Amino acid sequence: MADAPIYEARGISKSYGSVVALEDVDLSVHAGEVVGLVGDNGAGKSTLVKVLSGAHQPDAGSLHLDGQERSWRSPHEALEAGIETLYQDSGLCPDLTISGNVFLGREKLRGGLLGKLGLLDHRGMARIAHEELDRAGIGLTEVRRTVKDLSGGQRQAVAIGRAVAWARKVIILDEPTNHLGARQSGEVLRVMDKARERGLGVVFISHTLPHVLQVTDRIVVLRLGRVVADEPTSSFSPDTLLKVITGLGRSTADVIPEDAPA
Amino acid sequence: MSHGPSATTAAAPAGSPRARVTAVLLRQDVILLAVFIAMVAFFTAMNPVFFSRFAFANILQDWAPIILLAIGETYVIITAGIDLSVGATLGLSGVSAALTIRSLHESGTGGSTALLIGIAVALLVGLAVGAVNGVLITRVGLAPFIATLATMGAGAGLTLVVTGGVQIAGGPPEVIQLGNTQYLGLLTLPLIVVLVVLVVAWLVLHQTRFGRWTYAIGSNAFAARGSGIGVDRHLIKIYMLSGLLAGLAGVFVYLRLGSGSPTSGQGQELTAIAAAVIGGSSLFGGSGRMSGTVLGALITTAVLSGLILIGVAPNWQQVVIGVLIAVAVAVQQISARRAQKGAGRG
Ligand SMILES: Nc1ncnc2c1ncn2[C@@H]1O[C@H](COP(=O)(O)OP(=O)(O)O)[C@@H](O)[C@H]1O
Ligand SMILES: [Mg+2]
Repeated sequence: MADAPIYEARGISKSYGSVVALEDVDLSVHAGEVVGLVGDNGAGKSTLVKVLSGAHQPDAGSLHLDGQERSWRSPHEALEAGIETLYQDSGLCPDLTISGNVFLGREKLRGGLLGKLGLLDHRGMARIAHEELDRAGIGLTEVRRTVKDLSGGQRQAVAIGRAVAWARKVIILDEPTNHLGARQSGEVLRVMDKARERGLGVVFISHTLPHVLQVTDRIVVLRLGRVVADEPTSSFSPDTLLKVITGLGRSTADVIPEDAPA
Repeated sequence: MSHGPSATTAAAPAGSPRARVTAVLLRQDVILLAVFIAMVAFFTAMNPVFFSRFAFANILQDWAPIILLAIGETYVIITAGIDLSVGATLGLSGVSAALTIRSLHESGTGGSTALLIGIAVALLVGLAVGAVNGVLITRVGLAPFIATLATMGAGAGLTLVVTGGVQIAGGPPEVIQLGNTQYLGLLTLPLIVVLVVLVVAWLVLHQTRFGRWTYAIGSNAFAARGSGIGVDRHLIKIYMLSGLLAGLAGVFVYLRLGSGSPTSGQGQELTAIAAAVIGGSSLFGGSGRMSGTVLGALITTAVLSGLILIGVAPNWQQVVIGVLIAVAVAVQQISARRAQKGAGRG
């Protein structure tokens, strides 16, 4: 992990009116690395996700993809650059099919004249969606089913599969294991492992600390809009991580002893 | 008329989803068709004139502007919006065409030229009202219901201002000719245009990105935005489409009557909404089908014509439309609740 980060945010600040959601926040992720982003409710995690994904513009700070400074005027630009985001509780359009959701915003057109007229290639999209979900390790391949007929866990699996299928550089997951049972969460964590194997940078936001400790390589802790810790996962125990998040220890040094395993 | 696989109101999950989706859609259109046939049978029994070529030609003529408004309304309702302004826009466009054509005619412009310019003006008026709706909704942030209620009031008022509340007659003879010459026994030129518009609207809704995004926005605008879809721009286009179709409907009503009537659009927005909702468009967004809207418009038109033929006073029309909307929405909600019970155990 000595190489340069694939995606980096430097000195990000963002306020909503008088509410300071982020203040001078740094975050980086390397190719093939899973970074956990944790913090209490209102710490600023979702706001940081929105800045990283181009949904919001930061008031100050800069974004660097592959070492180059970039700025996103819309989520579309970030998507084009290879950054996929799964927003908290927002993922899918329930009235569309699985395949329709996987291809949403990137619909494939037919070949030839019909394609030039703008007609969709329904069959081709279904086939590719099937293959991609399979490759992402998601066992939901009946891609012509309507999403509103799926259970919560199945929907989440589709949302993640979609993000993994399209991501070329970075994938950001905002609380993907929320509301999921143990078995389904396990599946989500496995999909994250697959994404890491494919050399993607993964940013994983979760309140479920055991999941974070299990799957991440490094953990960044936000408290009240500031980064209060950015350490390898191995330097946290469930207990110390909780203390840093809640701020019950006065600083990182208080809860992570100097001789912690690196 | 068939359908794309994206937009469905399918119920429980099943082994062969595609076959099942097709079956459900087919069933809905079959039910609507059955309702239409039952209406025709009922009104024919009450008054045999209903089942004559003359009456059918009349129903088709009435259907043309309604289906145009209902096509726009279908797109709008699928995005979880509503367009209350289409009736007023129809009236305003119609009198704009009439005024333009009359003044060009009086200043010595040739009939066909005057007609073309008048039609263009009417369509531009429709587009402009739609653009105002779209901007009010996406940039100002008004709810579609409020924004289009405002333009409905403004449009109807403006129509009265420019006409002084009277019919605008006095165009060239080409007007009546164009609107009423029948081909193949039943079809007038406006009807042929409507059929072409319908096929294009159906293709766009079910077979193109534009249609797919329309469903996506109504289904979950946040997810659509996150997928890189320009939601605001798309919505503005949808309301402009609705306005354009209302403008075209205004032209057709004008051509048929041979004069611009300031009241011709009154209440038509409700008829169009009824057609779309009876056809299966959900006011909560995310679902609707062009085939359903076609049948819904046929049913509402048949009911309205039938009531007149059996001697019900025209003032009852609005009441009947109101009842139709309420019944259609109730049926939708009951079946949606059933479907929900069926799913959710996945
Ligand atoms: N759209 C918004 N408008 C105003 N305040 C907001 C908005 N989004 C978030 N906030 C505020 O910014 C802070 C950070 O919120 P958020 O990023 O959602 O935190 P988290 O995801 O960590 O729970 C909170 O105080 C929240 O109330
Ligand atoms: Mg959050």
